[in-house]
Amino acid sequence: MIPKSSPRRPRNRLVLYVLLGVACVFVLVPVLWMIVTALKPETDLFSTPPRLWPTAPTLDAFRRVFTDYPFADYFRNSIIDVVASTGISLVFSSLSAYGVSRFKFRGRGSFLTFLLISQMFPSVMLVIPYFKIIQVLGLYNTYAALIVTYVSFTMPFCSWMMYGYFKSIPRELDEAATIDGASPLRTFLSVVLPLSLPGIVATAIYAFITGWNEYLFALILTSSEDMKTVPVGIGQMIGQYKIQWNDLMAASIYAVVPLMVLFVFLQRYLISSLTAGAVKS
Amino acid sequence: MARSSKVAAAQQRVGLGFVSPSVLVLLALVVYPLFYGFYISMFKTNLRNMWNFVGLKYFVQALSDSDFIHTIGVTLLFAVLVVAGNLLLGTALALLLNTNIRFRVVWRAILILPWLFPDVVVAILFKWIYDPLYGLLNFALTSVHLIDHPIVWFGDPNLAFSAVVLSCIWKGYPLVMILVLAGLQSIPQDRYEAARLDGAGLVNQFRYVTFPGLVPVLAVSVILDFVWWFKHFTIVWLMTAGGPIDATKVVSIDIYRIAFTNFDFGRAAALAVIVFFICLAFSIVYRRIVRDTEV
Repeated sequence: MIPKSSPRRPRNRLVLYVLLGVACVFVLVPVLWMIVTALKPETDLFSTPPRLWPTAPTLDAFRRVFTDYPFADYFRNSIIDVVASTGISLVFSSLSAYGVSRFKFRGRGSFLTFLLISQMFPSVMLVIPYFKIIQVLGLYNTYAALIVTYVSFTMPFCSWMMYGYFKSIPRELDEAATIDGASPLRTFLSVVLPLSLPGIVATAIYAFITGWNEYLFALILTSSEDMKTVPVGIGQMIGQYKIQWNDLMAASIYAVVPLMVLFVFLQRYLISSLTAGAVKS
Repeated sequence: MARSSKVAAAQQRVGLGFVSPSVLVLLALVVYPLFYGFYISMFKTNLRNMWNFVGLKYFVQALSDSDFIHTIGVTLLFAVLVVAGNLLLGTALALLLNTNIRFRVVWRAILILPWLFPDVVVAILFKWIYDPLYGLLNFALTSVHLIDHPIVWFGDPNLAFSAVVLSCIWKGYPLVMILVLAGLQSIPQDRYEAARLDGAGLVNQFRYVTFPGLVPVLAVSVILDFVWWFKHFTIVWLMTAGGPIDATKVVSIDIYRIAFTNFDFGRAAALAVIVFFICLAFSIVYRRIVRDTEV
């Protein structure tokens, strides 16, 4: 974050802040409206014109999400699906990324190309075969269905991110360990992996966000309330006859907060690793 | 000689050892389902008891079906507008954030915020804001007397389309902004110094240093973002479900409906294969650009 250009005249600086301020207003107004709506009692919801601030702000909606809807189940399911798929994805992608970053072997180039191209596969293309395959395997409406699916989504890009990170770790460290008689796997586990913690963290957040946000496959591969995930649960609240916007916004806030917490603590790792793949530094 | 070939053989063995678990997983979870999708596309099937082989009938049908051509047109327009919006906004904000401002971290955190919103939440939040009776947008517009009567945003094809595009830009620009910011930071400082020594002002510095330095990042962003939004489903589905009168029926919604409402899985799979080839064409361009910039 080195400043590149500094407008000399104060008027230019003012324009800068005004532009940034306008952009932030467009970001923050919807966010604040979400919070205000969640704080409204039901009587305020359908008043015209809409009230900009609730008559009597209440946290009832935040409680109702868990008492009137099976959101505790949705959360448990989302966490199980996403944590498991993130973990599995990390194990496989860090192994393959290390292999690609350190060894020359036949098929290395094709593997890297495949990782890139798999970003292009439309999810609608996979959803139909998955629907059938998951049923044939007897995994329909189970945790395994979504875990498997999310691994297939996240593993290619996770491998790419980890590959970018491993490349930045000097090979001399590996060589020193090898000379000391360590096997390649041992070198990887005890020398390279501990040094790669920032990269692993960034990759894990990426996989987590991707899984946490996923809607289409969760919609199609689960059917009972005790298997649905948070996005599906929120999505079906809007199909109801009378939409309870305050409950819906409270549920949405619950869905966003985990990602914000992750992001606030770990943004430095994430941004640098995400961009490592796309930008040559 | 013998030693170096031994080393090469060891490299081969160990490298494959590290990669093979992932290769197996990718074969099982990505490659096999892709081929199975091709297979399904050649049958008239409900995926249960009816499997009538029809060959390439659905492909021929789709390419001469004016409805499908229209859907592809809508999807292209949708993707192009969202990507253009993301690119303009993302680049402009990245340039602003890259200047010598106070509280940069705070500005950046706020501007990245929409990226952390799940698609489902974005869709629902904007559906609420666009609500004709109780929505914030109509309220704001009537308060400043821009309109007299509330507008039913999702009742008119053009308005609905624009409303969806704007919501998607809200969600989509931060990723471009992050990529461009990283691109800006990878431009060496001394190029700016050289330009200043040559007497270049801010405009010329942008023209001859910043912009050329950003071209690779912008090219990659355009293509990744385009493919991403071309196949997008969730926000559009939850906001309009493709309506009104198919104005927002992007190809993912078309495929979803044909498969999971009409249970015409073979035809849906065929359309998905066509989308796959459109995305593949873009990915080849993408690959070429990445290779060219990796100097």
